[in-house]
Amino acid sequence: MATPLLEVEDLKTTFSTDNGDLTAVDGIDFAVDEGETVCIVGESGSGKTVATESITRIVKEPPGRVEGTVRFKGRDLLSMSEEELRQIRGNGIAHIFQNPQEAMNHCYTVGWQIAEALQIHQDVPDKKARARAVDLLDRVGIANASTRFDDYPHEFSGGQKQRVMIAMALVSDPDLLIADEPTTALDVTVQAQILKLLDELQDEFDMGILFVTHDLGVVAQIADRIVVMYAGKVMERGGVLDIFEHPAHPYTQQLLNCVPEIGGNEGGIPGTLPNPHDPPDGCRFAPRCSYAEQTCRTGGQPEELDVSPGQRVSCIHYRDGRDPSLLRENAPGVESGSNGVSSADD
Amino acid sequence: MATQKPERFDQVDWTEISRSRWFDLSINSIGMLAAALPLLIVALYDWQVLDERTPTLEPVGPAWDVGTVDYLFIFTLLLFAFYIVLPLFQNPRRTKYYWREFKRNRPAVVSLGWLAVVFVGGIFGPFFISAPEQSILTGYQPPVFLSVEQSYVSTCVGEVVNNQCQGTWQHPLGTTAGGKDVFSGIVHGMTISMQIGFITTTIVATIGITFGTVSAYAGGWADELMMRFVDIVLSFPTLLMFLLILYIYGAGLGMFIVVFAAFAWGGTARYVRSKSLSISEEEFIKANRISGASTYRVVRRHVVPNAASSIITQLTLLIPGFLLAEAQLAFLGLGDSTIPSWGQLISAGRSDLSFAPWIVLAPGIVLFLTILAFNFLGDALLDALNPEAEAENA
Amino acid sequence: MTDEPILSVRDLKKHYPIRKGIFNRQVGAAKAVDGIGFDIAPGETLGLVGESGCGKSTAASSVIRLEEPTAGEVVFNGNGRGGASRDSDGTHPNDVTEFSDAELKRFRRGAQMIFQDPASSFDPRMTVGSAVAEMLEVHGMSDRHRRRAIVEDLLERVGLSAEDYDRYPHEFSGGQKQRIALARALVLNPDLIIADEPVSALDVSIQAEILSLIDDLQTDFDLSLLFISHDMSVIRRICDRVAVMYLGEIVEVGPTDEVFADPQHPYTEALLSSIPTPNPRSTVGGIELAGTVPSPTNPPSGCRFHTRCHRVIQPDGVDVDQSDWRGILNFRDRVAAGQVDVESIRENIVVDDGPTSDDHVRAQLRTEFDIDERIGDPEIEGTLQDAIDRLLAGDDEAAAELLSDRFTTPCAETVPERTVHSPDHESSCLRHESEQATAPGAADD
Repeated sequence: MATPLLEVEDLKTTFSTDNGDLTAVDGIDFAVDEGETVCIVGESGSGKTVATESITRIVKEPPGRVEGTVRFKGRDLLSMSEEELRQIRGNGIAHIFQNPQEAMNHCYTVGWQIAEALQIHQDVPDKKARARAVDLLDRVGIANASTRFDDYPHEFSGGQKQRVMIAMALVSDPDLLIADEPTTALDVTVQAQILKLLDELQDEFDMGILFVTHDLGVVAQIADRIVVMYAGKVMERGGVLDIFEHPAHPYTQQLLNCVPEIGGNEGGIPGTLPNPHDPPDGCRFAPRCSYAEQTCRTGGQPEELDVSPGQRVSCIHYRDGRDPSLLRENAPGVESGSNGVSSADD
Repeated sequence: MATQKPERFDQVDWTEISRSRWFDLSINSIGMLAAALPLLIVALYDWQVLDERTPTLEPVGPAWDVGTVDYLFIFTLLLFAFYIVLPLFQNPRRTKYYWREFKRNRPAVVSLGWLAVVFVGGIFGPFFISAPEQSILTGYQPPVFLSVEQSYVSTCVGEVVNNQCQGTWQHPLGTTAGGKDVFSGIVHGMTISMQIGFITTTIVATIGITFGTVSAYAGGWADELMMRFVDIVLSFPTLLMFLLILYIYGAGLGMFIVVFAAFAWGGTARYVRSKSLSISEEEFIKANRISGASTYRVVRRHVVPNAASSIITQLTLLIPGFLLAEAQLAFLGLGDSTIPSWGQLISAGRSDLSFAPWIVLAPGIVLFLTILAFNFLGDALLDALNPEAEAENA
Repeated sequence: MTDEPILSVRDLKKHYPIRKGIFNRQVGAAKAVDGIGFDIAPGETLGLVGESGCGKSTAASSVIRLEEPTAGEVVFNGNGRGGASRDSDGTHPNDVTEFSDAELKRFRRGAQMIFQDPASSFDPRMTVGSAVAEMLEVHGMSDRHRRRAIVEDLLERVGLSAEDYDRYPHEFSGGQKQRIALARALVLNPDLIIADEPVSALDVSIQAEILSLIDDLQTDFDLSLLFISHDMSVIRRICDRVAVMYLGEIVEVGPTDEVFADPQHPYTEALLSSIPTPNPRSTVGGIELAGTVPSPTNPPSGCRFHTRCHRVIQPDGVDVDQSDWRGILNFRDRVAAGQVDVESIRENIVVDDGPTSDDHVRAQLRTEFDIDERIGDPEIEGTLQDAIDRLLAGDDEAAAELLSDRFTTPCAETVPERTVHSPDHESSCLRHESEQATAPGAADD
């Protein structure tokens, strides 16, 4: 395989707080290929947002501290100067966030902001920039783009603002789009529009997308590959079909169980996230895991093991000489081959 | 209760409970009432029965004539004790938390220590140290360890060495031209400062909070009217008003406190109003409203306590202004010259600055430190009591 | 038990006046809730679903009189008030909107509410125990120990421990706070709980916990629930019946299974099709709702959904592709609103060779509104071309007039009546009315 578009190795982000250091992301690695969508899935507090913000170092430093390697098209982002990094942020990697209204300047028209973003990176005349901005607005599905060019952000609805944000992210023709819960604040109908749009744009621009969400429904629709995070560590990774049809890690299984359409588990996952100041020994999920045994509670997070091509899991039950069949048997999951959803109707 | 199983919420007979209703007073209010009633009775007795010249406590012994300002002061002290100090004890966990937050700010801890000295000195000092008395013969005594040329002093209390009058422990901070002891002047000045601080704060807080919350909850034209009135209050020339009253009626400390407090609550009211409005948008206020609680109860139990941290901070920062105003007026010779305030002391020494600087410096430094301490304290309280920061640090 | 509903809402309206000028003259009203009605049977869970801004939360706070409804009737038969019949003047003695202060306070014991944001639903300066106990205190239970015993027992019942009584809200996670919120809503032993998006702010794993807790409590204490959510999968999980709201009105109501399996209103259909299914092999249903929810100040005439409906009815004699029809109507509305600016379109077209011609603008207009290059019906095509020509000639008004004259839909003219599809399953869509008209008695109930 050629070098991936984005390669993250042993990424570790620590925040110094009044109560001591807090390691939000604790040595994770993953990669995103061109034209591929990778979803980072996890509950709030799992460190997924911090992980994405550490990539282009938009996480606040200090109190944050980012260590590890992040290679974008072979160049290490973490050793770059602020100036070089700014080039990458605008030109190679674009970010969209959960709350579009906070990411816009309310004093300027939407079109002006897009045109300006364009002119920062490319030397184009005003008229051309304007035309391109209208084109982008139209591209992201703003009806009547040429007229709405001169509207101010407050005249747009939440979904439209997110579209504008996407348009802004597209001006520099990015190779990688990092989308941090871009649809969580939106209505389902609008969410469907945005997801469809991202899909179309990905085909058109051949972007890699790194998508952060806790909504497994969205993941199933958009992801090619999935990285499951829990308490700052990667629990499991694999293709979307592997994860949904044969989840291997007990945490992934529990998470899927909580989705009404899949799981029979109606009680959620017992217990709470571990204290990030003092994570437990061994597997981070062990304290809440029903398969946990003594080995799980000592040492560090278990090494990742291949369970099927492309699917790796950090769980001792898959070590050589162990029998994971119990985990396999009780696993939830979408039935492979079926087109509908394995229903959990009463 | 231990013998029977706990009652379950769905077995409560509400029809019975809602029939038997009686007014439920908190321990704080009961204490306050119990303490304030005797005070009120004494005050009434003083006002109606005793003639003006008889000191209030003469029948019991000490010749202390309790004045209006003193009654007010005692009343505010009671309020302070029952509604600020007592709750701190009733809620030790919360207090510990505040203290932990507060402790981070070193200057503020020192400030608090200083203010405690002023507070204790102001309340108990006058009982042990008699008020400074005029004694022309022992004027201009230097503070201990210092000396002054003998020609300035008519009678030197201490030794005279090399024609220099030496200070003594009898007057540790020296005396004024009139022979008043500066140290006892400062101690009695603490009382005055505490009186100014406590009484104005109470008046400002009462009017400000009432006005602010009523305005916020009334809404509509009532709100509009009340806020325009606040504008008037805020733009009123308080000093001119005070001077006017001074020339027409003559003014003592009481008048000073009343006039200045009466025009200082505008900011507080405005602040409380905006704070109440934002708090009343919170979901817990909605939850309380559908609990069936009256608006008064919601405001009293939830809105005001949640606004309290910022109100307390704001009030703490108001006090230095009053103390300074008093000192300034006294310095200009417009204050009440019968009271032993720091300002009066400073004003008494201003013409002798060249050879007897202690008369101005000693109370001046004390005043400066007190004002600084209030400012530090206000700042630290803002950080320690801020509920948002609290949630984040938790 | 009688089959009398515990809550019966009829024609409930909540309008927010819009005032302008120095005399605060009312110039209009935002019709957040505009004449909704539903019943909730004892022990039943009714879901109220819709996009943000459709008025579902306003409906909830009007029902519970957190806000004063503008009009309508909310009959609450819980609290032992059942069996009452209407007075001679037509008013109902159990009408919450007419309750006196004393009755209202009693009503508070019968109906309680849970809110969306666990972070702000507790007073940060009060222990959670006293926050729950305060409910008892407000209603006159003056014995502190009795209050504490009841609340501690209840905290255990919702999955916390008695020691949690003395802890402060910030010491709890979002899910735990929502449990305490449930305890606070329950402590007065109400018959009805209104839950306003109670799990929207929580993670999936916690959502599942809270939902199953709600389920258990409902069975144990025979509660009725009005459950408000924008999340269809949550609704499906917990509700017996569901009412779909759009722009202040209920467009469809029916048993959850039936509504999910066989949605009758196009809006329900669109809403359902946009839920992402957690199955990587299936794709999202694909009905894309264009545009945004119109302003409730000036809602569209007729059926309020007609401005976005993918099934908007073509008048007699018109038969074009449905998506073209939608595009034409969108075009008509934008022209009428003066929002189609030919000059800026012209300005923004980049042509590689030569100046921009009128044809470019024509093509651009059609792309922007998703209208085919040539529409099947020649008469329609002619009118459309005519209108575009007028636009190009700068006569916007004439274009608007022509378009609104020629392109009309019955949906904009007639307010749809409720159509009954099966017992309990009703919707308001003109398509069903015409179907019923052609097949009389088919849907008789």
